[in-house]
Amino acid sequence: MTKRVRIGSGSAYWGDMFEPAVALAERGDVAYIGFDLLAELTMSIFQRVKAKDPDKGYIPDLLTILRMVLPAAREHGVRLILNGGAANPVAAGRAAAALAAEMGLKGLRIGTVTGDDIAGQLDDLAAAGWEFENLDTGERRLDRIRGDIVAAHAYIGSEGIMGALADGADVVITGRVADSALFVAPLMHEFGWSFDDPDWDRIGAAITLGHLVECAECVTGGMSNVWEAACSPWDIGFPILDVTDGPDGVTAVLEKTPGSGGIVNLWTVKEHLLYETHDPASYLMPDGIGNFTTLRIEELGDDRVLITGMSGRARPDMLKAQIGYRDGWIGEGQVVFSWPDAPGKAQRATEFLHHRFARAGVDTLALDMRFLGVDALHGDVAPPMPADPAELCLRVAGWTRTREEADVVRREVTHLWTVGGLGTAFGTPSPPRPVIGLWPTLVPRDVVRLGWRVEEVT
Amino acid sequence: MALLADIAYARSGDKGDTCNVGVMAKRPDLYPLVLRQVTAEAVRRHLGGLVRGEVTVYRLDNIEAVNVVMRGALGGGATRTVRFDQTGKAMSTALLRMPLEEAS
Repeated sequence: MTKRVRIGSGSAYWGDMFEPAVALAERGDVAYIGFDLLAELTMSIFQRVKAKDPDKGYIPDLLTILRMVLPAAREHGVRLILNGGAANPVAAGRAAAALAAEMGLKGLRIGTVTGDDIAGQLDDLAAAGWEFENLDTGERRLDRIRGDIVAAHAYIGSEGIMGALADGADVVITGRVADSALFVAPLMHEFGWSFDDPDWDRIGAAITLGHLVECAECVTGGMSNVWEAACSPWDIGFPILDVTDGPDGVTAVLEKTPGSGGIVNLWTVKEHLLYETHDPASYLMPDGIGNFTTLRIEELGDDRVLITGMSGRARPDMLKAQIGYRDGWIGEGQVVFSWPDAPGKAQRATEFLHHRFARAGVDTLALDMRFLGVDALHGDVAPPMPADPAELCLRVAGWTRTREEADVVRREVTHLWTVGGLGTAFGTPSPPRPVIGLWPTLVPRDVVRLGWRVEEVT
Repeated sequence: MALLADIAYARSGDKGDTCNVGVMAKRPDLYPLVLRQVTAEAVRRHLGGLVRGEVTVYRLDNIEAVNVVMRGALGGGATRTVRFDQTGKAMSTALLRMPLEEAS
């Protein structure tokens, strides 16, 4: 039997626009909206917040989103799935329930999913001989960073969200689920698939589709090669998947909110298919492995693209985990040199800084001195500096062991405001920022103690 | 001089200290040229000090694209790098500046 469901994507990151998600709920004719609010660093930031206040540690935008989207979502029967629970999905669920009660949404069912936080299991795993090989550097064993760890989360899959949906949740709040799970879970729930009797090509298709929309506007004309063709980006539409589960497999049309800005075409879909991926034949996710090398993309016109031929393989034995640890500080500053001879003034400024850092005894672990507008993005690949620029912005950033050293970096840049050549201007300085190092690794699946709970707003 | 930007689109992103650039032929008939030009060696040579680790190029014949995966390419990763472009969004355009090698 052929089934069909429409799912929207309501957020690409913590801090994204709210209005396009409201428009999706109002005009998108969708049954679900998934909201991605997490980046690799976010879990560490919010574990630190939670350590100071056990009732916090979720993303505050979560409540703003619910306040803005819930009225239309209730009217049109749209279920919302958000990973904005971050380090504290349970507290986020309580806050959401209080908000819903205040909005008069009695009877709303709010689900929370837990189990991704594995900080409490690290020592037991290490004692059992697990080496936590760092996927970036190859380093083994956490001993060096153990005392500085602030967060450890596994990227969990769809089961918790599916459980909450089966228990009737209208809103599901999670922590660190894989981004694609925000979309794989409702597809599996709607189509009646399960991991007990999995069809890996179908699940692989769901993973591929989830990946395509998890960054919302990044597939509807944002961050695009064809950015000029995206109409009225201030009204950019968020993406919608119109997914069909038929006898021959899963197909989908990727479109966007009717009447919105942006663009969906061959290029926006291709560029996002490859975004933040490695081996395209093995897109490893907790729910399965997506294979991007068999699919076909066909432009239908009117901002609609057909995707067919998707496939996949069985889910991996291990889960990816991200461990965040305190890893020094970064001090940063900017200063702008003016014509005449801005390059000469800039050259003198870099000499000034090297002398001053040395005098202060600051030995940076990494130091970047580049010119915004010249080579800050492309480094040595950039063409030579123009001969006589009207202005030149030196941006300096130094990574140091201590906050004090980072503050020296910032402070010495500010000295150029007075010691720099004639016509030197400056902006607003920012204080040193703490660095969270990330240690990506793999952990066994059974380290996750998955749980979900659905409660009704009274 | 012809550049990769003349025959392809590109988009980059980050995962830890690994950066990937999806490179898409602007037309299907340009895909073989993209395959010949975008090799691991050529990418490493062009990007120089921006990339310290291994470079791998994966083919996607189905969409006439390649995925260039570069390890040790983001100065330690978004949270720790001192680069202005913390997440490597402009690695795509840095690669698009790559001059095309003349056919021999």
